[in-house]
Amino acid sequence: MKEFVALAFKNVFRNGKRSLTLGINYAVVAFILVALAAFTRGAQTNVSRSLVQATAAHITVSGQYAKDGRIYNGLLRTDDIMKTAKKSLGPDTLALKRYLVRSAVYFNGISKRLSFTGVDPSVDVGFRGQMEFTSGSWDAWAADPNGVAIPESVARYFGLKAGDDVVVSVRTRFGAFNTGILKVRGIYRTDNYFLGDLTLTHFDFLRALDLADEGTATAVYVYLKSTARLAEKRDAFATSLASEGFEVSKPKGDSDAIAAVSGASQRYEVDRIGRDRVMAKLSTIDEVLGIVRNITIAVQGLGAFLAAVMLFVIAISVFINLRMTINERLREIGAMRAMGVDAFAVTALFTLEGAALALMSSAAGAALSAALCLAFRAAVAFPSGGNLAIFLDAGHLALEPDLGDMAILVVAITIIAAAFSFFPARRGGRIKPVEALTATF
Amino acid sequence: MKNATLFSRRIFFASILRVGSHRSLAALGAAAVLFATVPAALGAEAAKASDSKAAALIETYEGKTDLAGLDVTSTFTLIQKKEGEADRVLRIQIYRRDAADTFTLLFQYPDSEKGKGYWRSKDDLFLYLPTTREFVYRNRKDDVGGSDIRADLFGKPNTLAQYWVNLAGTAKVSSWDCDVVRLDAKKLDVAYPVQKIYFRKTDGLPVKTESFSAGETLLRTTYFVDYKALPGGKYIFTKILAIDALEKGQKTYLTNEGVATDKIPDYTFSKAFLEEKSR
Repeated sequence: MKEFVALAFKNVFRNGKRSLTLGINYAVVAFILVALAAFTRGAQTNVSRSLVQATAAHITVSGQYAKDGRIYNGLLRTDDIMKTAKKSLGPDTLALKRYLVRSAVYFNGISKRLSFTGVDPSVDVGFRGQMEFTSGSWDAWAADPNGVAIPESVARYFGLKAGDDVVVSVRTRFGAFNTGILKVRGIYRTDNYFLGDLTLTHFDFLRALDLADEGTATAVYVYLKSTARLAEKRDAFATSLASEGFEVSKPKGDSDAIAAVSGASQRYEVDRIGRDRVMAKLSTIDEVLGIVRNITIAVQGLGAFLAAVMLFVIAISVFINLRMTINERLREIGAMRAMGVDAFAVTALFTLEGAALALMSSAAGAALSAALCLAFRAAVAFPSGGNLAIFLDAGHLALEPDLGDMAILVVAITIIAAAFSFFPARRGGRIKPVEALTATF
Repeated sequence: MKNATLFSRRIFFASILRVGSHRSLAALGAAAVLFATVPAALGAEAAKASDSKAAALIETYEGKTDLAGLDVTSTFTLIQKKEGEADRVLRIQIYRRDAADTFTLLFQYPDSEKGKGYWRSKDDLFLYLPTTREFVYRNRKDDVGGSDIRADLFGKPNTLAQYWVNLAGTAKVSSWDCDVVRLDAKKLDVAYPVQKIYFRKTDGLPVKTESFSAGETLLRTTYFVDYKALPGGKYIFTKILAIDALEKGQKTYLTNEGVATDKIPDYTFSKAFLEEKSR
């Protein structure tokens, strides 16, 4: 058997030119599919990590609350929610409150609407490591309750520098206009796509600007030590919140989850029920990433379609090639059959030859693709604000070739090649020794 | 006489531009200090009661501008000026029936806005978009066509229900001696929690309003340049200038021409009318 397999591998190189042509086809297909898999895997990991470091937590609690006949966006009793998170999910759980406001900014006769994120700098330090300050610093911003840290693009737009005062004007949740003065304490750049537009202020400043009550926040961000069985953990947290008097729900779908983690403060609606309550919506990071997953599945689907077309073309080539090979090797088949090699063994030999060529070529293509992906990631840097920004990790395209993906692809290509080799090979196996020898001599 | 009026208006515009810019800078500076030091104490200084003289001034003014018994048709022309940008002009046909708390606005100019319209019935304000043939529900305090003029400018004012009103001294606006009334919102569901209205002593009509944020930063100054007398001792403004205090150089001029008080058909105050006129 061992010799039989060795013979099949050896036969691959008997007609080098033909094998090379076919092998290149296998290698190209494997190359493309491994690159696509590396891209989608990298995109998913990168988007997930960037989101968790920016606008979504492992579990994000957002929602609405009804008070005095009106429904407002955001949460009340925020401290209770944070305490319940620690109680039900363990003391290692990190629960952070944030306030989001979209507000007009005025400076030197120029205005622009910006999205502000208010955090408590004494505990919410996750952004710090992702912001490279080109002017001012994190510490200067954290020390000033009226301080603001702005992205470089915003600073360029207004012509702002550290120490400048800007006026912010917002239509509060009640409908009244309110204004404030912020001092620029930091100008930064970041590689995190989701932090590119972040205008960072203090939580208390934004809450006061929005004229909101004590205990109000836009959302609570819950970070866990382990994200294993996240849905179960969310359910346990939801049960605890319900027992504390909160009305709890889950997002209805991916879009609902995205909306839940990105909703900023809005004006109130009239409450038709007329009962004060807090309606908390708990979204897991998996749900928030659902849309990203759908996009990567679509990319993978497109890749699979392209691969299927290419494999179909290859299959026809395999079929024709093997028929030609069998015709050329009729003397050999006749000799083998005369020596007592049965039809099944001849079929298996030719099938194995086809599979061996596919295995070697696709493995080489996959390995080359993985190596080039890693080299491309390491060597080529992109500007952080470009169209590719969402796929960039520290300025480099997040390509993550995976050995498991490569193995699955190589095996799949080999099986397909073997299947399409089988039919012409079976025809070769069925040739009787006398027919083969008659046709040859 | 005409020349004298024109001259007086020129002086008036010159003075309001000067006063407006100084006041807004001063207010901005004061607010900056106030907000920077005690952001949580916003509105803490707001009055909690009204004084009778200020309330009487408000009632007099609202009585004179209350057009509840009249149907009013007129044409608004808004010219919005923004520094560094071309002037934006809007012409709007207005139909008002304050007794029923309803009005219809129909955009006539420019062509890009033609067919667009607002219809308000009590607290419901709808914006009709002819391109999509849909009605969009809007806040009744919406800015008309993105200008500095707000939709709640039309209809019956309800100042005493929404604000505590108190006298805040006297001032001269252009050549007119005025009583100044400060308005502090009873609830924060009004757009401007603090306002100052300058009432002309001669006839009790407002010539200027200053609108402030909750942090008492001046946001907008509106000048009522001229009024037209209507039957029954009523008045309607015919010229307004609104200056945005935060957006440097942004002003909106409004003229209210062709004022008529003939009966307006009921059908005018309906969504169907807006749909029909947009065709």
